[in-house]
Amino acid sequence: MKTGKNLALALASVMLVGSLAACGGNNAENNANKDNTGNNAKGTNAPATEAATAEPAEKVELSFWTLGNVNYEELANEYTKEHPNVTIKIQNTGDQTAHHNNLTTALSAGSGAPDIFQLEIGFMERFISAQDKFYNLNDLGAKDIQANYLDWKWKQASSIDGSFQLGLPTDIGPTVVYYRTDLAEAAGLPSDPEGFSAAIDTWDKFAAVAKAYKDKTGKYFSDLTDLTYNALRDQSADEIYFSKADGKFIGDTNPQVKKAYDFTVKGIQEGWISNYLLWSPEWGQGMSDGSFAVVMGPAWMAGNIKSNAPDSAGKWKIAQLPEGAGNWGGSFITLPKEGKHPKEAYDFIQWMVNKDNQLESFKTKGLMPSIPALYEDPAFVDFKDDFFGGQQTAVEFGKAANRVKPVYYGPLHDQTDTFFKNALKNVIEKKADPAKEWDDAVKQAKTLAERS
Amino acid sequence: MAEPVITSPHAESKRPFLTEQRRSRITAYTFISPFFILFSIFGLYPIFFTFYLSFFKWDALNPMKFVGFKNYDLVTSDPTFWISFSNTLIMGLMGTVPQVMLALLLAVLLHSGMTKFKKTFRILYFMPNITSIVAVTLVFSTLFGNNGMINWMLNGLGLDSVAFNSGWWGVKIAISTMVMWRWTGYNAIIFLSGLQSIPMDLYESARIDGANRRQQLFSITLPLLKPFIIFVSLQSTIGALQLFTEPYVFLGQAGTGSTRQEGITMVTYLYSEAFRNGFFGTAAATAVMLFLVTILFSILNMLISRGTGGDTGGKKA
Repeated sequence: MKTGKNLALALASVMLVGSLAACGGNNAENNANKDNTGNNAKGTNAPATEAATAEPAEKVELSFWTLGNVNYEELANEYTKEHPNVTIKIQNTGDQTAHHNNLTTALSAGSGAPDIFQLEIGFMERFISAQDKFYNLNDLGAKDIQANYLDWKWKQASSIDGSFQLGLPTDIGPTVVYYRTDLAEAAGLPSDPEGFSAAIDTWDKFAAVAKAYKDKTGKYFSDLTDLTYNALRDQSADEIYFSKADGKFIGDTNPQVKKAYDFTVKGIQEGWISNYLLWSPEWGQGMSDGSFAVVMGPAWMAGNIKSNAPDSAGKWKIAQLPEGAGNWGGSFITLPKEGKHPKEAYDFIQWMVNKDNQLESFKTKGLMPSIPALYEDPAFVDFKDDFFGGQQTAVEFGKAANRVKPVYYGPLHDQTDTFFKNALKNVIEKKADPAKEWDDAVKQAKTLAERS
Repeated sequence: MAEPVITSPHAESKRPFLTEQRRSRITAYTFISPFFILFSIFGLYPIFFTFYLSFFKWDALNPMKFVGFKNYDLVTSDPTFWISFSNTLIMGLMGTVPQVMLALLLAVLLHSGMTKFKKTFRILYFMPNITSIVAVTLVFSTLFGNNGMINWMLNGLGLDSVAFNSGWWGVKIAISTMVMWRWTGYNAIIFLSGLQSIPMDLYESARIDGANRRQQLFSITLPLLKPFIIFVSLQSTIGALQLFTEPYVFLGQAGTGSTRQEGITMVTYLYSEAFRNGFFGTAAATAVMLFLVTILFSILNMLISRGTGGDTGGKKA
């Protein structure tokens, strides 16, 4: 009954742990499948990276907070082998809210922040305005490698005028359609990616196919209200809920938001969207036993499908979304100002996100690279995934990535989005009136926006 | 220290500074100081800082900006805040009143001598209270899921499914159940220790006077348990106002920690205000309001218990 106190204690202990934790980031593990011939500058073609391999004169220790399921620890080990004067201590967090709150706490306290921090795009707006708390990577040479990365991805971590660069791009989350070939076949739909994509290449066609599928098989076509809504929402150009120009709430007037909402409502009313909850066990079970035919999600969702439904290996394939692609997720590597060694830290991170290492991250962890040159590189393109019936998944993700339009989120995107998601949940679970729920969501969003 | 003012340079204080009495006092204070030092750093200072912060606009990263009472304005004019307020009260009542009665009943049963395995029962009572709330909530989430066990049983009885994740009452029932499950046993143990403190000879003389079991319960047990009942209800009231983990985890199944209107409590509101939206000023204002509400309810509790002749007001029972 002392949750308030417990929360305070938890926060206090997080701070203590944050300042005391010793992490095993420097156990010299042998990375057998890499040649140690200093191949750092090979991947990038910028002169700045030639100098990047210069050895710091004295011993430097860098702390690095990573998030989620990434291979950055292995990369750090490899780097420190080649740069004996650099040690990198890694601290990994699984919970993204806690991960970013730890940084907020450290920055506002003025101590305890790491030298290097992995920042998830969903939290970008919280930090991008605090430019006095981070090194401007443009001052450290980021301008020279900007051309290597996807333009929209790069700009997500830039100030509006482009003078300040908060982070270097890691992976991206272009959205695609994951679908069950066996179910498509059984319902008389084309089961090859080309044919399937063509059959649903507009949202109207998608809805017609979904309804026909439901009528024919009696099963759901699309898995969740949340992911259906996201698929359309993320196709919005330039901005979603908030205006890029003045940060005002525009969710009620943005046609794409209304389109996403109305389309999902249509799916609910025609009965081809399930009422499972995102991340719930039933949802994972549904992937296994074919309760629904498609899952719309970003590249990293492939990992979730594999772990939720290992038995369905070989039955899935990847197709393109109707009318374009969006982006959901992905990270940036930033350098908080509390760090004492910006130059050494920058040398490491620009190496860590170069072409070779992003390819490595894709192969080991499925992180979709943000370097367009890779999308034509045989090493990347020829990668076949048995889970997806031997499909060259990189090709599909690459296609989607090239269709993504950059978009502005605003600091309140996450919470505002929840209002609309809740409205849709009410429509599907409580049979609530969609128009009234829409109005309520807009009202809540406006109340929240008044505070910024 | 009341040192006499030294007027001439030759005047010397007669006694040494460290008298025996002072030394022992300093020793005593030194021994109890750790608590007070820690409390003032981790308890007192944050409390005052919260008051101070509630008059500023702050996102924890950029400079603080003084805004006067605007935060209080924003909070009190936000319908969601008032929904969270009424939710907290409703769930507080739903989770506390039946729970205290049930705990009392369990304690009386356990005390009555009709039960064997007293020690085992005592441990069993206490188990729910020491399990992690998050783990408990996750288990209950699967029970109360749309296609969960509870709905399956209801359907088996020929009843309709209840939307425990989104229904106005469904959510409250699910959360109150978790609160009851967690605290009933704990309170029963407290009542049990109260029951054990009642002298047996009172019951014996009552039996000689011809009182039956019911009369004994209402004329001896309950009146003498009054201090315990007051303690438990005050604790439960304060706890109910701070309800957070159960609704936060139960409704946050999309991994975000939910602020759904059906189950938002004052602390969930505060938490999402601070750690999801980055509005630390309005969050602080919410905390101050919560503080005032808690004080108000504690005072009400005291008045009620005084009105019923409980021995909290220094009166002899």
